[in-house]
Amino acid sequence: MSRTITYIDAITEALDQEMERDDRVFIMGEDIGPSGGVFKATAGLWEKYGEDRVLDTPLAENNIIASALGAAMVGLRPVPEIQFADFITPAMDTIVQQAAKIHYRSNGAFKVPITVRICCGGSSGSGLYHSQENAAWFTHEPGLKVVMPATAYDAKGLLLAAIRDPNPVLYFEHKKLYRSIKGDVPDDDYIVPLGKAAIRREGRDMTILTYGSMMHLSMEAAEQMAKNGVEAEVIDLRTLNPLDKDTILTSVRKTSKCLIVHEDKRTMGIGAELAAIVGEEAFDDLDGPIMRITGPDIPAMPFSPPLEKAWQVNTEKILAGMEKLAAY
Amino acid sequence: MASKVSRAVLELETEKAGHSNELLIGLYTMLQKCRMCDEKARILFRQSKFGGNFYSGAGQEATEVGAAISLRKDDWIAPSHRDWTSNIIKGAPLKFCYAQLFARATSPDRGRSSPAHMGYPELNVITPASSIAGQLAVGTGVAFGLKRLKKDSVVVAFFGDGATSIGGFHEALNFAGVHKLPIIYVCQNNYWAESVPLRLQTALEKLSDRAKAYGFPGYSIDGNDILAVYDAAVKAIARARAGEGPTMLECRTYRWYGHSEIDPAKYRSKEEVEAWKTRCPVANFEKSLMQKKILTDAKKKQIVTEITREIDEAVEFAEKSPFPDASEIGNFVWAD
Repeated sequence: MSRTITYIDAITEALDQEMERDDRVFIMGEDIGPSGGVFKATAGLWEKYGEDRVLDTPLAENNIIASALGAAMVGLRPVPEIQFADFITPAMDTIVQQAAKIHYRSNGAFKVPITVRICCGGSSGSGLYHSQENAAWFTHEPGLKVVMPATAYDAKGLLLAAIRDPNPVLYFEHKKLYRSIKGDVPDDDYIVPLGKAAIRREGRDMTILTYGSMMHLSMEAAEQMAKNGVEAEVIDLRTLNPLDKDTILTSVRKTSKCLIVHEDKRTMGIGAELAAIVGEEAFDDLDGPIMRITGPDIPAMPFSPPLEKAWQVNTEKILAGMEKLAAY
Repeated sequence: MASKVSRAVLELETEKAGHSNELLIGLYTMLQKCRMCDEKARILFRQSKFGGNFYSGAGQEATEVGAAISLRKDDWIAPSHRDWTSNIIKGAPLKFCYAQLFARATSPDRGRSSPAHMGYPELNVITPASSIAGQLAVGTGVAFGLKRLKKDSVVVAFFGDGATSIGGFHEALNFAGVHKLPIIYVCQNNYWAESVPLRLQTALEKLSDRAKAYGFPGYSIDGNDILAVYDAAVKAIARARAGEGPTMLECRTYRWYGHSEIDPAKYRSKEEVEAWKTRCPVANFEKSLMQKKILTDAKKKQIVTEITREIDEAVEFAEKSPFPDASEIGNFVWAD
């Protein structure tokens, strides 16, 4: 049966159902126990499963990931949480040097099936250190799968797929979507396969490559542009590594134009890689420049409202990009 | 200058009684094997038989042998870059160890890791990375997993004095203390972190004092005294296996050579090096066994001859082994 639930409830439901289904699965992180998490993503799980499987950890991100990783090496399926993507830096060593590489460096002997849930992205008044996305730091690392759901359906299906995947998966969940997005979510078991993008809107005139909260803004912009007769195809990447190149390239070859929209900073960002792929593999099909609407090359989202607004991508900025690209 | 180490620093009451002759000969044989394998590897490196770099553990053998020789097959080792011989102690065939140094396709990881990063997954020796104290983080995680699975296996994690300065050390030991994890932290304090002397690393007199901050026992012992290390490790392993939690053993020892073979180690005085060489863990134990008539010249010769033969065979195997094919480069980026 399908019901309409929020993005965050879809996450909680996925954790609950997977913990019930598979006793190797447990969650650990800061404030996830009796408090139920800063955003209540783990609410009720401590009461149901107890401290053994819903473990509050010391405030030490490197150890959160390392202890999960070691537990995965002996056959468990840990789902550690990083409370804010801004706080993931202390864990970089373990994520990049251990999780991403131990399978490779042991010639396949060690497996680390951990799913790291990471709350990310800008909301209102989140400031420099509670607003960062930072997914691009990790898409640079082969061996790490990186996903970011944009819908409630995907929030559950991608999380279940991630936990069952034999690789380390970084699951970025966008705090702005937690309660602003609702959708039909089956109450039974299903997965959204990793590595598969979704076509959210079909169109013939340009392709928008996007993910996370930007998918919703891109859809709004696309609907507005349709009134002017420009039909955009909106691709929700869902998995940021490995990328679904087939869906990306098939769409760009059809529309001949490519606009990339992401929230995070611009230089060397995920958009740069998408542009390179399109440039290398669909050059002959392009009728205009590959364009990007992204966050600025400014360290992070400032706190004061006018500054915050200036930092953030919004529908107007996307529309301006679409108009410019449509003119080619 | 390294501080003076004597039996006076011992906090742990070790039990000298009760070591069977078989155990003593076993310890001696393994010490000798580690020393001979290490010295052979140095020669091979200097002959350019293999590339990269080599991080000799000569002088520190008693810390590894004493801590690891009594481990069970299902126990784990989290080695540092200087602990390649811990694979040998755990039971990894020598030929595979040399094949790893030689970067051959017959090595356990088919030539992925450099000589300093040797692991043997089949025997639960974790393939290490270079990050300082990284093996403590991973090893602590394994201990966490073992405890969750209610297994009575334990983890021995090796690290130098240098690894005690970094944040990951604190996070790992703190977590192990909170959850009483089955892990033994074996600090091989050789007084030098690469070229940085201990006095510039810590204000502590005893690195084992750090354990107090994490709520579990720490002991400073003579790391060149195989029986001191062995006795302390046996107790710590039993404690871990019984679910009573971690122990830190600061084993005071010395690396005879530089940080690696390309480091002439001119930051240390000749006198210091020579003083430590007189405290050789292999030679001194040998002398004591000879004095007690447990070891004879004939028996020693037999042991050394057998190890030499084994090393020669292993080196020959490694040299004759093929390199991995370039087409293997993309294997195991992803698990499936």
